[in-house]
Amino acid sequence: MEKTKKWVSENVVIVTLVVLCILFGIGNPVFFSVKNILNLLSQMCINALMATGLVYVIILGGIDISVGGTAALAGVISAYVGLMFPNMNIFTSIIILVVSALAVGIVVGFLNGFMIAYLNVVPMICTLAMLNITRGLAYVITGGQPVYGLPDAYAFLGASRLIKTEAMPNGIIPAITIFTVIVVALMHILLSKTVFGRHVYAVGSNKSVAHLSGINVKKVTLTGHVICSIMACLAGVCAASKIQNGQPGACDAYEMFAIASAVMGGTSLVGGSGSVGRAMFGVAVIAVIKNGMDLMQISSYWQKVVIGVIILLAVIMDMAQKNKKD
Amino acid sequence: MEPILQVKNISKVFPGVKALTDVSADFYPGEVHTLVGENGAGKSTLIKIISGVYTPTEGKVILEGKEMNFTSPGQAIDAGIAVIHQELSIAKDLTVAENIYLGREPKKGRLLDRKKMNQDAQDILDFMKVNMKATQLAGKLNAAQQQMIEIAKVISKNAKVVVMDEPTSSLSESEIDALFEQVHILKKNNVAIIYITHRLKELTEICERVTVLRDGCKVDTMMVKDVTEKQIVASMVGREMGDYYNKHEHTRGKEMLRVENLTRKGVFENVSFTAYAGEIVGFSGLVGAGRTEVMEAIFGATHIDSGKIYLEGKEVQFKSPIDAINAQVGLVTEDRRRTGLLLQKKIKENISLPSLPAHKSSIGFVDTKWETEVAEEYMKKLRIKAPNIDTILSTLSGGNQQKVILSKWLVANSRVLILDEPTRGIDVNARSEFYTLMNDFVESGGCIIMISSEMPEVLGVSDRVVVMRGGKISGELSREEASEQSIMALASFTSDAE
Repeated sequence: MEKTKKWVSENVVIVTLVVLCILFGIGNPVFFSVKNILNLLSQMCINALMATGLVYVIILGGIDISVGGTAALAGVISAYVGLMFPNMNIFTSIIILVVSALAVGIVVGFLNGFMIAYLNVVPMICTLAMLNITRGLAYVITGGQPVYGLPDAYAFLGASRLIKTEAMPNGIIPAITIFTVIVVALMHILLSKTVFGRHVYAVGSNKSVAHLSGINVKKVTLTGHVICSIMACLAGVCAASKIQNGQPGACDAYEMFAIASAVMGGTSLVGGSGSVGRAMFGVAVIAVIKNGMDLMQISSYWQKVVIGVIILLAVIMDMAQKNKKD
Repeated sequence: MEPILQVKNISKVFPGVKALTDVSADFYPGEVHTLVGENGAGKSTLIKIISGVYTPTEGKVILEGKEMNFTSPGQAIDAGIAVIHQELSIAKDLTVAENIYLGREPKKGRLLDRKKMNQDAQDILDFMKVNMKATQLAGKLNAAQQQMIEIAKVISKNAKVVVMDEPTSSLSESEIDALFEQVHILKKNNVAIIYITHRLKELTEICERVTVLRDGCKVDTMMVKDVTEKQIVASMVGREMGDYYNKHEHTRGKEMLRVENLTRKGVFENVSFTAYAGEIVGFSGLVGAGRTEVMEAIFGATHIDSGKIYLEGKEVQFKSPIDAINAQVGLVTEDRRRTGLLLQKKIKENISLPSLPAHKSSIGFVDTKWETEVAEEYMKKLRIKAPNIDTILSTLSGGNQQKVILSKWLVANSRVLILDEPTRGIDVNARSEFYTLMNDFVESGGCIIMISSEMPEVLGVSDRVVVMRGGKISGELSREEASEQSIMALASFTSDAE
């Protein structure tokens, strides 16, 4: 009994996920249909990519709320680059998307990281400003209009499904899911198995100790922000690929979903602990709530309220655990 | 004359430490009563009890004949006991008057009566005969002037008892004179002053009575006019030393670390010393003498303005701790919870931290096999008491935490170890074990520089003692020359020394 209790308190996110699935499944049998589950898997990818990046900066003891704007900027830029290659094939389209994401991610992440690590700007304010800048730039370069006219190959990563069968002529497994699983797994290993990952935890736990143990705290912080922005940009190009055009208003308010997922997945907002793998449970919870509410035809306005409440609950629980430890 | 404040048979026990034992003292109006003693003698604990920060485990605080049971500093202030802390508590963006009346602002109805506040504050400043305007911004004033604000605050509260904790530590000679004038004014107004200082020569200038504390006990209360400075020093030190330091005779090896004219403006100046393999060099001095700052600068954690550092005869420049660690220098900081350990992380993660880059695979993976082996090896070797290497550091005792820190630097192959107050907050047995580990390290060819504010520890452990005072090295003593008296003479600002 003690043990079960302990397990539950340490794995609230998994319990929540199971409970939600059961509730929505009872509420609407469609929830457990193969089609809906595949939908879910594809819907959670963009948030999964973003949340992965946020895990890094939150463990570092910071935050990045610019990810929504950064993603949109990367999306429209990848669309413009896509327009330059009307004869692209599936392979080149992925290269175009990934290279665009890397380019935008490195620039934005470097700016964020430099200001936070070297100029000691408060992460919250710095990235809030960056949210405005990136979102604004996305509107400026598109003139506020979506970037249309992209070849079908551009949509392969975001919208296509692999393994076509007679029952499912459009394919079963979403390409975006495979892409996301690979990227997230790599980022999970980077954080949990490498020396760099250890340094991220050390810096987030205690900057002075990290510094005095020979860790270049500023460099680690900067790198963490570059990683976060790159992940946001990968999410952004996937989102653009999914709808086959570049929307300057894409990924609006996605930073909230990503932060909520990371925190629900046990990433502590005071830094020092968390994991990419566990954050994926948080991503699943958010996706299930959105999907379930869609199926129950709850308006998107109410969905905003619900997501906000969930974030607050997750943060309160995080703080309650912290207080218990001290 | 009746004492205005009395402490009777005060004892204070913290978990694991008895900070005060059966201390009694009387404080008279119109007198300056100084508390002296080494670091850790119990002075601050006593004033924290008087000012309501701590409640005593046993004993009474009696103010004007009535027993007080303060449970918060606010109650002590209301009763008429004011404290001027060593660290000034001035709100820099407020004016002088706003600082003086902070939290007790005069009101007209529900609104702030700024005119009255400024007028009252100016009256006090004029009474003190200091040339300051009540409407000036406090942040624009120098340290001495800011201290005047604290004194004005005390006067405005009509305090009966004023505690001054090392008020002169950051002041120049002329500023000290100005401060003493204020002390005389307070005395004339029949205020009882409890004064703490390390500068014994100040005693004869302003003080009537002196109480000496040692190891949490009162040694004696004396009238200043009846005793000499030497007698006071003698009663501050002098106690029996056990042999739990496990002192060995070490043979001095080659030169390891040489520092020449290290200077950081306003912090330390022209610091030069040499440390050899096979020896423990003790750094003694009072808190604030600049020892920690010098060591942090040597380690590359903070910058230096000038000076040179040599390691085994070769000049080195440690721009950051990374360079120092690569040169096999390790630093155990004085505050292990804040700057020594990742408290929420595992033992093995703490032990391996500085050595991780040296043991990573070609693609940057942590060598977890090495990490486990080395953590288990050192847990056994240093007898760290914990369930296993995955135990979270915050659950360990202070002594075991300190052993984890030592392991961390041994694993990093340190040859020069700088230990800053290595046994602070550790019980006697763990200390004894720690001294043995230190001896083992120097006997295997290492070099230890140990900062310690505890006299018996410095004497019991060091092969040589360097003494610092006010950011400078004031002397070096061989093991034979070193005694509590000789170190105290070099460490404190006695009139003989200056």
